[in-house]
Amino acid sequence: MDDLIICRCEEVSLADIKRTAHMYQCSAREVKLRTRAGMGYCGGRTCRPAVDAVLEEVTGEKPGNDIPLKVSPPVRPVSLSTLGGSERHE
Amino acid sequence: MYDVVIIGAGPAGLSAAIACREWDLHVLVLDEFPKPGGRLLGQLHQEPSGEWWNGIQETNLLLEKAQKYDTDIRCGVSAYHIEKLEHGYAIHTNQGSFETENLLLATGAAESAVPVPGWTLPGVMSIGAAQVMTNVHRVKVGQKGIVVGVNVLSAAIARELQLAGVELHSMALPASNPATVQHSNPNTVMDGLVRIAHLAPSAFLRFGSKFAKASWVRRLAVKFYPKGGVKMWGMPIHIRKAILSINGNDRVESVTMCRINADGEQIPGTEENITVDFVCIAGGLYPLTELAAVIGCPFRYMEELGGHVPIHSERMETPLKGVYVAGNITGIESAKVARAQGELAGLSIAADKLKAHADLQQHVEDAVKLVATTRADATIQFHPHITDGRHKMEQAFQQTKSS
Ligand SMILES: Cc1cc2nc3c(=O)[nH]c(=O)nc-3n(C[C@H](O)[C@H](O)[C@H](O)COP(=O)(O)OP(=O)(O)OC[C@H]3O[C@@H](n4cnc5c(N)ncnc54)[C@H](O)[C@@H]3O)c2cc1C
Repeated sequence: MDDLIICRCEEVSLADIKRTAHMYQCSAREVKLRTRAGMGYCGGRTCRPAVDAVLEEVTGEKPGNDIPLKVSPPVRPVSLSTLGGSERHE
Repeated sequence: MYDVVIIGAGPAGLSAAIACREWDLHVLVLDEFPKPGGRLLGQLHQEPSGEWWNGIQETNLLLEKAQKYDTDIRCGVSAYHIEKLEHGYAIHTNQGSFETENLLLATGAAESAVPVPGWTLPGVMSIGAAQVMTNVHRVKVGQKGIVVGVNVLSAAIARELQLAGVELHSMALPASNPATVQHSNPNTVMDGLVRIAHLAPSAFLRFGSKFAKASWVRRLAVKFYPKGGVKMWGMPIHIRKAILSINGNDRVESVTMCRINADGEQIPGTEENITVDFVCIAGGLYPLTELAAVIGCPFRYMEELGGHVPIHSERMETPLKGVYVAGNITGIESAKVARAQGELAGLSIAADKLKAHADLQQHVEDAVKLVATTRADATIQFHPHITDGRHKMEQAFQQTKSS
């Protein structure tokens, strides 16, 4: 069961999350930053609730009012040319 | 510079656009899907009255109205960032940037994954993906499948798959693990099932009345749940069986199912293999709020609303000047509620912009009432305490404003 993948973009398993939480005795947020769970290509859209549920079980932290890991742009995958500004404005 | 840019062309975004165009605002609607309509497009269910709710028809009605008012709707446009400008907002998309005085976020909901071993194999999909493939793209998802996760959404969509001629073995729970806590406990699931009894006028009403509303009856029902499941539309629903794993080499070939006790624990020695070529996993919905987070809307976590939701008033305004929200981004509810919220948001935007029109205030107040009555009459209720959640949110907004 521990080799169950939780975050598929970054291939983080349940065991990775448990190990990190126990080794560093850290917050849910720090577990995410250390394992990169929820920080892959999909921006956490697929696994965010699952990652949060696992972290709540593993660290005992209840979800607070702030989104557990700050959402940063771009919230969708974009090409470098789009980011580079060769785009139109309206 | 637009008066308002609306992100999301689902029932909320489209109704808002129509209301804004009725008051002649300069409006742009953006959606990343190739077609407008949002999650409405996949919906098909029978109301207790016997009438069918057909999402494609509902979408067409909204689009006809929008066209009548010359509404600019652009699909295939994905918003990835929003920045605050001195007098409004800049929306950055894969098709360029758009500047606007007001912004309406109507981005809807996303599905939660339920990780069970093997869930990353090809042939495993979310129940919503199966809905879109079946009802929007008209692609048959497989020969024979199974649904993992028993809730309002999966029951409604399982029925749609069945109507489309897709064979389903049954619906069962995911096996218990730290990621499936809410979905793997038979008692919790039974509480939810009783609330969807009315979804299926003939078959499921019997199910609902059998187990009634009293919690002790439900506990007993879980305890003595039949081994063969309870049939809904001829399809077994198991809440005392769970899927331990999804198996296959390069794609789904089978699942391993076992019996579980009333607390969701596996009963050893009851494992069986079931041949399937696709699996739908259903972990419920949560509000899709990334864009609200990126521009710095404050949030509240409310289970009744389905998770983290940007703080907003009953007029659909957020504490950020010119930023409004409507639809499932404000909490998980049915399409009719989203549509009523969209109209309300559109009227609020128009009222805030055209302050001179006194009668607009009255329209806003009427629209607030319409949202409440639509909620009270809703056939599909995703969360039992939605009305409490809405009250708490209004309080949160008042607190934020006064501080
Ligand atoms: C899989 C699924 C099935 C459902 N089935 C039912 C059902 O059977 N009955 C029912 O009553 N309710 C159902 N719902 C609930 C549904 O969310 C509401 O019925 C309703 O569609 C919500 O309307 P909305 O306008 O808020 O959002 P949606 O209809 O979800 O529309 C939101 C739109 O925003 C777009 N969008 C999101 N982010 C961006 C971005 N960054 N850039 C550009 N566009 C973006 C999306 O492409 C989408 O078209 C379902 C929801 C889901 C997810």
